[in-house]
Amino acid sequence: MLKYPKARVLGVLLAISAATPVIANDEGKALFGQCRACHAIGPDAKTQYGPVLNGVMNRAAMVEEGYSYSDAFKKASEGGLTWDNDTMAAFLAAPMSYISGTKMAYPGVKSDEDIQHIINYLSLFDEHGNQAGLVAETSQERPDEDPKERMLAANFVLPDHGVFHLGRKALNEEVAAWDIDVRPDGTGLPVGSGDALTGMDLYDAQCASCHGDFGEGTGRWPILAGGHDTLTEERPEKTIGSYWPYLSTVFDYVRRAMPFGNARSLSDDDVYAITAYLLYLNDEVDEEFELTSENFTSIALPNEANFIADNRTDEPNRQINVNELCMTDCIATPVEVTQRALVLDVTPDE
Amino acid sequence: MKKPKDTIDSSRRRQLIKTGMAVTGGISASLVVASKANAATPDPLITEIQDWNRYLGDGVDARPYGLPSKFETDAVRRDVAWLTADPKASVNFTPLHKLDGIITPNGLCFERHHGGVAEIAPSSHRLMINGLVNNPLVFTMEDLMRFPRENHLYFLECAANTGMEWRGAQLNGCQFTHGMVHNVMYSGVKLKHVLAEAGLKGNAKWLLPEGADASHMTRSIPIEKGLDDCLIVTHMNGEALRPEQGYPLRLVVPGWEGNMWVKWLRRIEVGDKPWHHREETSKYTDLLEDGTARRFTWEMEVKSVITNPSPQAPINHGRGQTVLTGIAWSGYGRVKRVDVSIDGGRNWTTARLDPHSFSKSLHRFYFDFDWDGRELFLQSRAIDEFGHVQPTKNQLRAARGVNSIYHNNSIQTWHVKNDGVVENVEVS
Repeated sequence: MLKYPKARVLGVLLAISAATPVIANDEGKALFGQCRACHAIGPDAKTQYGPVLNGVMNRAAMVEEGYSYSDAFKKASEGGLTWDNDTMAAFLAAPMSYISGTKMAYPGVKSDEDIQHIINYLSLFDEHGNQAGLVAETSQERPDEDPKERMLAANFVLPDHGVFHLGRKALNEEVAAWDIDVRPDGTGLPVGSGDALTGMDLYDAQCASCHGDFGEGTGRWPILAGGHDTLTEERPEKTIGSYWPYLSTVFDYVRRAMPFGNARSLSDDDVYAITAYLLYLNDEVDEEFELTSENFTSIALPNEANFIADNRTDEPNRQINVNELCMTDCIATPVEVTQRALVLDVTPDE
Repeated sequence: MKKPKDTIDSSRRRQLIKTGMAVTGGISASLVVASKANAATPDPLITEIQDWNRYLGDGVDARPYGLPSKFETDAVRRDVAWLTADPKASVNFTPLHKLDGIITPNGLCFERHHGGVAEIAPSSHRLMINGLVNNPLVFTMEDLMRFPRENHLYFLECAANTGMEWRGAQLNGCQFTHGMVHNVMYSGVKLKHVLAEAGLKGNAKWLLPEGADASHMTRSIPIEKGLDDCLIVTHMNGEALRPEQGYPLRLVVPGWEGNMWVKWLRRIEVGDKPWHHREETSKYTDLLEDGTARRFTWEMEVKSVITNPSPQAPINHGRGQTVLTGIAWSGYGRVKRVDVSIDGGRNWTTARLDPHSFSKSLHRFYFDFDWDGRELFLQSRAIDEFGHVQPTKNQLRAARGVNSIYHNNSIQTWHVKNDGVVENVEVS
């Protein structure tokens, strides 16, 4: 079994060749980070605002001497509350409703999976705070370091790149995993294709709940279609068809950030299909249209030419000469109110 | 023993209610008299021993991480629920009317997220540099902490700050009209050092920073800016970045619109052309009256606002000595001068600028005057070191129309009524 310090040294060395050390219950440990504000765990744990959590699983709910539990907690404990997987899961999900009156003013962990990670992490510690079954800890943790196992600083191998010799070379697989951006000239497009009809099914299932059946948007979610020739009107509708300059933006954004709450879940062909359907919703193509990595750059959006460079410096208000600024009697008559915020009454209550 | 404390709390509550009503309901509130010229009876706060004079307070371990006084209930970020569809892709606002000086406390810096707050353990975070470089590299947080470190005070303003006021006075409070700005001392490393480590190729012209959150935020930044004053930061106001500000790593793009300051920064790609991604085409482009739209409007122009008095901070003391204060900033450099008008722009007086003046940072100004109790129309007008002058609303609307959303740096007017209540207005 690897003890921590050796794993750390290995981690540093292997980092150069891009291996990642195996981490034991990293998720649970990370999630427990939010509990650490009030609870300590481990061999050196001391009572903080909340009790020490060493060995908390599978024992009675209230054992720490000297900790001032809430009355509500005392009552629950007297009622025989024991921390097992189910009771702890229910408590962590909504502490203040599970034990009404608890001092643990924390809204609760939302995801069942996260709750289980936390319980698994708590289960690692025995009553003395020693961990059973630990393989390795994350490299940010300061372990009780055994000097024998720390590598001599002089023996570290420095990489040969750069000025400060920091970081390591990125592997091609790593760059490929993150570098998914697409430009208007097609740079970055993956090989693939998808047609508007396929896109319609995907859109109806994954996009319509926010963006509306026809891209009209529900509530204040973005409108994706329509709005042609509205840019000079009092209330412009800025859609893919009426406003966006480049189709690559649609592809790139859907691929990196949609659907909202489940990013990166669509295949490249899915993204081609949804992009094709969005073109169809904007009357740019017919329903048989198939968008591919080959024909992608042949599609131009109608509003591209209406984007201009920043020319704010040409505005009259930017030509005001400081030395000619009026300081007295700048307006002939006393000013009058022309607009009031209170008549609108759209400011949130305090 | 409880009596005096109750008195304090209830009078305080009354004052809060009064303020709240003034903000929301437009009730013609009479002056909330905080002090009187003469006392008829002795003040029990002085003549009686209070709880806090007698009993011990909390010991040193009561607050392992200290928080504001429980009485500071009004100094909180607030949102405007109707602005956006979902709080995970939304914004809240800095309570500017509760702050003084030029530093924004970390817990009050406004938030803008496009996919909620990513919670990333530093040990799980990586920064990749790829694209037009000699050596694509990956850094851990420990690696990044070993570059030469610097400290800089910069404002961050959302391009949409004051965006709701283009058509007219709308939101009644500087928190809502101007609260998408904060000013923080950042600690971190110059981006140019990190790029040099990878080695830029000759055709490197643009950078694409990318966030690790669920929105995978991306923006195109010209390489000249990246090599000039951009920072990769780990700390704000001395402590680690707050999760909502991009912990553990954020990009700082001084003077430029806040959307470019990518949070949870995980990758910077180097390229020869801009990417025209969603946040620089569909959003953060400025639609003009003729239907054309400006893109890549990066610099935040010279701007100021009076934070006190303001709708959320009415004058409660009646006539006499009055402190007017506010903040001013410019994305081009230092603010050199702020003029204040109390009559809606007819006459101007140069305000006292606090000497803590840093480039692309908030500046604090004060104007002390003797209020005669008549209604006031308060305005402030900032001028930066390059002679840029903050425009009026009408000047800006004449140049751009009312549908730009972004980059509204026009002069704000507050109407102080003869009872001290303040309202967001426009004047002729």
